[in-house]
Amino acid sequence: MFYQLINFGNEEFHAYPDKSLYWKRVNTLIVSDLHIGKSISYAKNKQFLPPYDTKEILNKIFVSLDKIKPSNLIIVGDLLHDVFSTLSLKDQDHKNLSQYMKNTDFIWIKGNHDENIQIEGFKNLTNYKIDKFLFTHIPIKTSLFQICGHYHPKVKISHRGKTIFKTCFVHNEKIFILPSFGILTGGLDIHSKQISDVLGKNNLSIYPVGQDKVYKL
Amino acid sequence: MNINKSNPLLLHPLNKWMEKKKWSWFPHQIETFYYVRTGSDVVVFAPTGAGKTLTGFINPIDDLIKLKKFKGLHTLYISPLKSLANDIVRNLEKPIKELDLNISFQVRTGDTTPYKKQKQKQKPPNILITTPESLALLNSYENAKEFFHNLKYIIIDEIHTFLDNKRADLLSLNIERLQTFSPNLQRIGLSATLKNKQDAKKWLCRKKPKIVSYENSVLPKIKILESKERIPWSGHMATYSINEIYKEIMKSKLTIIFVNTRAQAEYMFKNLWLINKKKLKIAVHHGSLEKNLRLKVENNLSKGLVDCVVATSSLELGLDYGDVEKIIQVGAPKGINRLLQRVGRSNHNLNTPSKAILVPTNRFEFIEAKAAIEEIKKNNLDKIDLKEGSFDVVAQHIFATACAGQFNINDLYKEIIKAYPYKKLKLNDFKQLINLIQDGGYVLKNYDQFKRIFQLRENKNIYKLVNKRETRKYRMNVGTIIENPMLKIKLGTKTLGNIEEVFIQNLSQGDSFIFAGQVLEFQSMKNNLVQVKRSKSLISKIPSYSGGRMPLSTNLANSVRALLAKSNMWDLYPEQITQWLKRQKYISNIPKKDEYLVEQFPRKKNFYTVIYTFAGWHANQTLGFLLLRGFKEFNYKPLGFVANDYAIVLWSLKEAKEIKTILNLGLLDKHLENYLEETSIVKRLFRDNAIISCLIERRLPGMEKSGKQVLFSSDLIYTVLKKNEPDHILLKSSYEDAKKNMIDYDRLREILKKIDKKIILKKLTSISPLAVPIILEINRENLSKKETDEYILEDLENEILKEANVLSIN
Repeated sequence: MFYQLINFGNEEFHAYPDKSLYWKRVNTLIVSDLHIGKSISYAKNKQFLPPYDTKEILNKIFVSLDKIKPSNLIIVGDLLHDVFSTLSLKDQDHKNLSQYMKNTDFIWIKGNHDENIQIEGFKNLTNYKIDKFLFTHIPIKTSLFQICGHYHPKVKISHRGKTIFKTCFVHNEKIFILPSFGILTGGLDIHSKQISDVLGKNNLSIYPVGQDKVYKL
Repeated sequence: MNINKSNPLLLHPLNKWMEKKKWSWFPHQIETFYYVRTGSDVVVFAPTGAGKTLTGFINPIDDLIKLKKFKGLHTLYISPLKSLANDIVRNLEKPIKELDLNISFQVRTGDTTPYKKQKQKQKPPNILITTPESLALLNSYENAKEFFHNLKYIIIDEIHTFLDNKRADLLSLNIERLQTFSPNLQRIGLSATLKNKQDAKKWLCRKKPKIVSYENSVLPKIKILESKERIPWSGHMATYSINEIYKEIMKSKLTIIFVNTRAQAEYMFKNLWLINKKKLKIAVHHGSLEKNLRLKVENNLSKGLVDCVVATSSLELGLDYGDVEKIIQVGAPKGINRLLQRVGRSNHNLNTPSKAILVPTNRFEFIEAKAAIEEIKKNNLDKIDLKEGSFDVVAQHIFATACAGQFNINDLYKEIIKAYPYKKLKLNDFKQLINLIQDGGYVLKNYDQFKRIFQLRENKNIYKLVNKRETRKYRMNVGTIIENPMLKIKLGTKTLGNIEEVFIQNLSQGDSFIFAGQVLEFQSMKNNLVQVKRSKSLISKIPSYSGGRMPLSTNLANSVRALLAKSNMWDLYPEQITQWLKRQKYISNIPKKDEYLVEQFPRKKNFYTVIYTFAGWHANQTLGFLLLRGFKEFNYKPLGFVANDYAIVLWSLKEAKEIKTILNLGLLDKHLENYLEETSIVKRLFRDNAIISCLIERRLPGMEKSGKQVLFSSDLIYTVLKKNEPDHILLKSSYEDAKKNMIDYDRLREILKKIDKKIILKKLTSISPLAVPIILEINRENLSKKETDEYILEDLENEILKEANVLSIN
């Protein structure tokens, strides 16, 4: 899998088409907004999405961990969709997770969807700091560089008379927002008010995620 | 039966009214009356103007008068269009009021207010005029059985529009439900003339089936507009002829101008206003307009208060506006049946011919118009194929049934297979559909605690809805017509109608566009409302609506092809058409009846390949997909394709040099399976299936979820499902739909079998005259989205890198 090199806060990051971000210097893999168990949460409202999202998200994570073998895995919020989501984690899933936790430190930063939920083996934090970088679900007021999730950014691209929407990594000078790592998760336009309020409108670096490649605009 | 000697209708309650109007009964009315009275289900075929609507009501009115003060619902009248339902009410009103008959009648459609609907349920009229969707809703109420248990007749108007689509499936299931509620129910179908009348009979009739047919010998007078202006090579807007169209409107008392798309309607309307020096009263009517605007136009039309209405198919069916003198069809006729239907809107007097003028908007359409006139002279109608019932509609029906109360699945299954489209529905598929409604029907039984319907413990055959809140969700999802995501347009606080989200996405603040005949400036989009203000701008976009594209009938397509090849006829055409064809012949080639012309040329930064199959839109669409795959295999980096009724154009970043190698039967054999698996056609059909089967919800006003996200998540569901559960019933249903929709597979196969020997390949330096119309269609949305997305991203990135003088990535 090819990655796209991203410079942010004078550090080099690798953006992967599976929507994970790797910080090589500190051997840390970062993902966001997995929304594990979204299908089962929807099922309680009688929207019967295929119940395979948890399995697929975990597989995706495991593939990435096998390949990169990071010492840390930081989840910047919304690992779970809601309290029902834990129902979709089977015994075997817990076993697999424990296995990976032997070599990788799982750092779970709580998001708005999973604030009050616990899973064994995960470190629960509201934010986490490495050097000048703060990892948090929703950006806060700080002089540090921030790496966040929450917004599921996507970008509208108009080119040669066609308009498409693509999930993307996006950052300004101080704030980096990851795309959602989930399977059944939608997205929000980076020029929507919610994201503009955080990132502003100008000087954005945008990296749309393609099938096997992350692009740079 | 000797109808002349004993006309039983002379004793009919309406006979007085007929006499007063100096009208006499038609033979088919007498015949229908007789058959229905003796217990037959009947389909009546008659042309417009032959009292078709009245024919349906003859028996119900006779019954109701004899029964005296019948309380409750007696007759149900199903109309394919809301506008038609309103028109029927107006027509029924005349005799009933004039004769002061004690018969109540009302209309019930999506436009009826909740208050009125509630009142109708408490105190039903004798005659209810409604649509298939409203009928389905009525059947989903707990008291449906009491509401319908005395129903005597169901009249299906314009039944020919209900034979080959999912609405037909929905309607057929609901008719069977009514038959269960009221076993004595009789069915009356009203239809325009049809090539395959027996099929319509099979679809509808159960009791002593009968066909009543009345053929009209007066042929319509149809001509092509004789224009002094230049007919453009391309385009669909008929701007060239606007002054001549205006003159035609002035000549007649009341004209309906039919166009093929909503965008054309807006454009035509705007252009007529610009030259409206005589201050003629001109109105516009199409399905996206707010209902009040539509109703106003319909009212004015029936009262003769307008001079001209520009309309789409929204005014096409059955409307009985007696004063319409002339029909102008702008754009290609597309089919013989459809053209006849539209032409039939004028001059509802049987003995004088309807008058119509065809206005081709480009040169291809001129040939098509010419061909259509020839076929009508020969009375060569198009055949309508019955379809097998779709699974998703059954799922929706199961949900509806559960909303009405607990049900026995065996009884339901027996009822469903009585409906003609579902004669062959397998019990196993039916059970999977039950599971689909229950909890999504996945192999992985994850949702036990969240079921929508459940089996009773004491009787496993009986299912019940988990709670009543679910009924609301069914009612929001009812129906089989899935429109593209639409947004409401607000001018101040006034709603003008609905516009496609895709169109708005391509607008920036300050851009102007035309809607409801006004030039509007786009201001903002909030909460799914598009805020606009009036604009004086002269440059404006026209909203494009992707729905409603009618394919050219096979029948007419063949005729066009033959006509084009007759070069000895060219000199009879207007000079410009002749020149166009001669120029094409000079620059490139005119294919003979059995030849296939292929042209290739560079244009802007891309390479174009145009293939003239004349195979009709369906076959061309399929071929386009297959070629896209073929091009990909040869690494031509295809960006997309557009197919119309005559041709296909593909454009790619690299030249498709081996087109002759690609274009043969192998293409079909090699890619057929992948084709169904991978094209976004199945994905899009899956979205429709997921919504119709109520697996996912339609976007509703006030709901946060935008239409784009619905599309998005149904794509995600499709991907996840295909990977994990390829045998799921909804995937099966989507594939079946895809196959059914690809009606021209066989024909495509025939073409590809012989095409390699019949290809005439022309390498050109630029676009040919014949290619112009299709090239202009390119800005429409295209498929194979995933791949195109990648190319666009790659291309854009490269362009930016080039601008920045960076030679390569990485």
